Formats: sequence, C-alpha cells, structure tokens
Amino acid sequence: MSLDRLRELSRAGGLAENYTEVAPLLAGLDDTGLRRAGMLLSKVDASVVDGPRLTVAVVGSSALQPIEAPLTAQLARHGFVPDVRLGGYGQYGMELRDPGNPLWDVEPDLTVCVLDADEVFDHLPTPWTVDDVRAALDEHVAQVESLVAGYRGDHVGALVLTTPPLPRHWAAQVVDLRGRAELGIAWRGFESRLLGLGVEHTGVFVVDLNPLVGEHGPLRDHRLAAYTSVRFTDPVLTALSREVGHIARALRGKTSKVLVLDLDNTTWGGVLVEEGPLGITTGAGPVGEAFTAVQKAAKQLASQGALLAVCSKNDEDKVREAFATNPDLTLREDDLVALVANWGAKPDNLRQIAEQLNLGVDSLVFIDDSPSERGLVAANLPGVPVIAVEAGEPALHLHRLLADGWFTTQRVTDEDRVRGERYRTERRRLEFKERADSLGDYLAQLGTEVELFAPGPGEVGRIAQITQRTNQFNLTTVRLDVAAVTGALADPGREVLGVRCADRFGDHGVVGAVFTSTEPDGARRVDNFLLSCRVLARGVEDAVLRELVLGARDAGATELRAAYRPTAKNGAVAGFYAKGGFSLVAEDGGAREFAHDLAEAPAEIPHVVVRAATTV
Amino acid sequence: MTENDFAELVEAETGLPLTADDLATRFDDLPGWDSVHLLKVLSALESEHGITLRIAHLLDATSLADLYTAAAVPA
Repeated sequence: MSLDRLRELSRAGGLAENYTEVAPLLAGLDDTGLRRAGMLLSKVDASVVDGPRLTVAVVGSSALQPIEAPLTAQLARHGFVPDVRLGGYGQYGMELRDPGNPLWDVEPDLTVCVLDADEVFDHLPTPWTVDDVRAALDEHVAQVESLVAGYRGDHVGALVLTTPPLPRHWAAQVVDLRGRAELGIAWRGFESRLLGLGVEHTGVFVVDLNPLVGEHGPLRDHRLAAYTSVRFTDPVLTALSREVGHIARALRGKTSKVLVLDLDNTTWGGVLVEEGPLGITTGAGPVGEAFTAVQKAAKQLASQGALLAVCSKNDEDKVREAFATNPDLTLREDDLVALVANWGAKPDNLRQIAEQLNLGVDSLVFIDDSPSERGLVAANLPGVPVIAVEAGEPALHLHRLLADGWFTTQRVTDEDRVRGERYRTERRRLEFKERADSLGDYLAQLGTEVELFAPGPGEVGRIAQITQRTNQFNLTTVRLDVAAVTGALADPGREVLGVRCADRFGDHGVVGAVFTSTEPDGARRVDNFLLSCRVLARGVEDAVLRELVLGARDAGATELRAAYRPTAKNGAVAGFYAKGGFSLVAEDGGAREFAHDLAEAPAEIPHVVVRAATTV
Repeated sequence: MTENDFAELVEAETGLPLTADDLATRFDDLPGWDSVHLLKVLSALESEHGITLRIAHLLDATSLADLYTAAAVPA
C-alpha cells in the first residue's frame, strides 16, 4: 500500500514536494519493496527537496548500477534526502585519485568503494598459481592503501570500503586441498589488511561483506555477472546499503540511544499475568533459550552504551517480582534505566520514558510482538524505529533485533560503557530531588562540582561523541569526528575545553565541550557550546559560561562573541546567551549573534563549585 | 500474463514508467533502459512463473515485446 502511494506521488511528480511522507511510508516495506521504492526515489532531484541532504558516491571494480535503488531507499528511510552518484564500471582507481573528476562536483558526505574478487583474478595469467594470487593481492592491497591515504588528503567526507569475499568458482579451480587452504589464507590476509584500514584511519569504515553474504547470499548471480558485470546479488547489495545507511546515521549524530523492550512474548515467552513470575518461558529449553538470546543481546548492546528500558502492558508489581525472583531471567531490573508497566497506550508510555531520560523520543527504538501496538507507535511516533517480532517464532527475535544497526557508532568510549549506570544514578538523584524541601535545598545538598579541562588524546573520542550525540544543549550543532576534534586541538588559534561534572551521587564523567577561537580583531568566539542533558538545570551551563567570560577577559580579549543556530531540537537554548548577559547583535531567520563586552562578569552560580584546570 | 501485467512487472523491476504501449518501443528509444534492466526483468519473469529462461539467447532482444514473446510467458 505504501508503495502504491509512492508510485502515485512519483507519477504525479509530487515526490519532491511531499518528501516528508517518504520515510514513514518506507518504514513498512520489506527489502523488495524498499528496492522498488528506491527506484522511484532515485529519480527525484535531491537539490529541489527541502530536508537534510546526504550525498553518497559509489565507486568500484564491477558494475554497481543495482545499488542505486536500495541505497537510496535505505538513506531515505532514515530521513535523509539522498543524492546517490555512481562511478563508472571499474573506474574507482582513477576516480578516487582525481579530485577533478565530475563525481566530486558536490563533495560527497560518504564515498562507498565496493571491491570484488574478479578484479584480482582477471589480471592473472592463464593458468595461474596460488603464488600468482598472493603476489597480485599484495600489489592490490598496496594500491588500495595508497588510494585511501590519497582520498583522505583530497576529501573531507567519510570513506566506506567493502571486503571482497572469495567466490567459490575461483577457489574450486585449485584442485589440491593444501593449495586451496593456502589460497584461503592469502585471501583472508588480504581482507584483514583491508579491515585494518578502518582501524588505522579516522573517517574510513570497512564493511566486512562475509557476514552479510552468510546471512543474505548468494554473493553472485552468475548470469548477471557474466552478461552485465554486476557481481553482487540484490539481497547482498541491499544488506550493504542497510549498513551504509546506519554508518550515515552514526556520522550525522542520529545513533539511537535507548532500546525499549516489550516483555510478554518479546523478552520472555508467555503472558506474565496469566503464567505468573515463575511461569514465563525463559532460560531452559529450546524456546526459553531463544528468549534468553534476546536478553543476552540486549545486555551486550547495553555494555556498549545503549540504554535499556521496558514498556509493557502489565501489572508493574508482577513485572518487578518476575525480574527479582525468576532465576532463569538473564535480564534484571538493574539493567534497565526505565521501567514502565501499566495498561496505558504505548505511544504515551514511550514519550514518558523519553521525558524521564531527558532524551528526544526519536532516540528510542521499540521492539514488540503485537502488530497493533507496533502500528499505534508507528502512527503516533513516526520518528521511532519499530522492530517487529512474531510471538510464535522466538528463534527469529534475535535476528530481527539485530537486522538494523540502530546503535552503530564510530567508536565506543569509556563513557558508553558506564552510561547505563549513570542513568540509574540519575534515577536515584531524581528520587532525592522529590524528597527535598525546595529546589534550592536540593541543589545545595547535591554538591555539584564542575571541572574545565584541556582534553588529552584519551578524551578526544568522547569530545567528538558529545558533538555527535548532543541535540538539545547544542548551540550551533556543528558535528565533529575524531579527526576534526584532533585538528581543533592542534590549531593554535582555537581551543577545546572538556567539561566534567560530579556530585554526591557520583561522577558524571565528561558531559560537555566548548570550542572557542580567536578572531582577527582580537575578540574571542565561542564556536560551539555543548552539554549533556543529564546535567542541565542545576547551574552547570551558567557556571561554565561565567568561566568563559572570565577567561576571555583575563586573556585580554576585546569581547566574547557567540552564536546560536536553530535546529529542530535546540529551541530551549535560543535564549541561553542573552540570559548570561550577552547582547543580541544580529538575528537572521532564527540564527542569532551575540557579544559580551566583558565589563561585568556574570554572577557566581550558587551551589556549583568550579575548578578550571586551564583558562580560556 | 497480459501485456499490461508484463508492463507492470517491468516497471516494478526497473522503475521506468511504462505502459503496454511501450512494449514495441526499441530499447534504444526507451530512456534509461540498460542491459541490467533486461536481466532483472528476465529473472523476475522466471521467479514469477517458476520457469528457467535461456538468457544468453535473449541478450540480443531489441524491445520489451521481444522479451514478452520470446520468453514464451504462459498466459
């Protein structure tokens, strides 16, 4: 049905105007539907569509035209307006090397380079030996390494490489088993070196195609390969496109933050209110193990920064009892940052979870076995990805959960590993707040300490992550990757400050960052100011701003300038600088320019102790 | 499979807006047509009808009508 609507819009030439309809329509489509929708979407001129444009160039050693549709659909599904450009068949070497190539008329946000095995074998003599292959692979990988280094020098966008799996028809041409093993070793060594590029370089991501082929293969359609030089099947290109979509999401700071689990027949088998806390299916037996696999995977995601929450139509006391008493559950209440079990509407409950965690509702991912609950959430909260599982087939739950990389991130930081604990501490803090007599009392007893520091190499990843993840308290929403933060730190005209925060309940870790620079006329400028929503509304932001003003004055700056750039998420901080004593000097369509003359520093913030390890 | 059904299948597989009237148009005059589309249409016909086509023989087809007839699509 949603494909019909897309066709109707496409025929009437109305896709560009109605592009906001596209992502919700794509949410209900399977892979074939997405590919067909992608064909319609790839005809839309992205430059006339209002929305977050994402330009992707795809180059490679084989004909790649069939990736255009699934890739376009996958990017559109995440709310991007995709502009997918294809390089020529086998031209990737020249294209990546030549900055003047028309492919780079618009600098791509992402370039995807798809390699394949035939390129290696096609250059061998006939007959060939395993030694020939080994030598060719050494040469090939050295070329790719130099292309990657060159590309990083010429371009600012990220580069995605894929490893080329070894097709059977090449391995099968070696008849001795020892030689075939040697070919396998040489091939894996080649793939390992390609994967190493993703570890070595920031902004280079290598997608290992082997697990994708294992799940979605076969790798090739022999007729398509022979007659058209297309060396990947649609399902493999679709799976690759899905990965690229999640890389793009991560780069644009749209990584999901919370996995919200339904309970009955999603997290465990059976209906709790009927079977009782000890009667639900989990742990033992083939079906119980399938549910345990879901619980283990959820904990695995949580160990790397995803937050876990429960949204269940259930009696809350029974749910707590099950988590506390059922010995076969792997997941416990302690693993959760929010637990909402009642008989209310799930869209409302999801909103409540987001509010409780101080996160936008579209940072949630929701998994449920009930089609009606999923439909309600999809209709009311179109920004929330919904994972469908079927009550009758729990063996597939794990695979549905992991089909999309909603929590894909460039790099897991120390902060990610303890994020769940921090949110649970926050819950205790809230309970404390509810018991305090007044807000002043609460803040006084909280004992907030703030430290400003110059980030070292170990903290660069976390600073980049703050620019990627923070949406609300983000004054200009400039997203930086690790390389860009490193660049800012090395630049003598710029300064990067990290913000650490702690209180009586524990250490919040690195919660914010401030980027400043010196202007040619001697003024200082705050290029961006970011703070995690976890520490808002207790004076931290005002205390940091005061330090910035004092620091600029001490450094002899003529004034301190700052800007606010509006986004869909940061409306709450539009007045932040004005409140901090800055004057509004210009305004243009919501964007505001401020300046502080440094004559009078903002007042000291009560109940916040500031330690400035370095001055601005 | 009627000509209309066939045109619909081709449109779904290629994304090219088509009607049964386009079946006789030469591929050279069909904007956006390429050899990958030809393979995609033939594979789709195979899975739709549970048949195996000799694609090598159909690479020289010059129009959709050639595919429609030469593929001997059961009605």
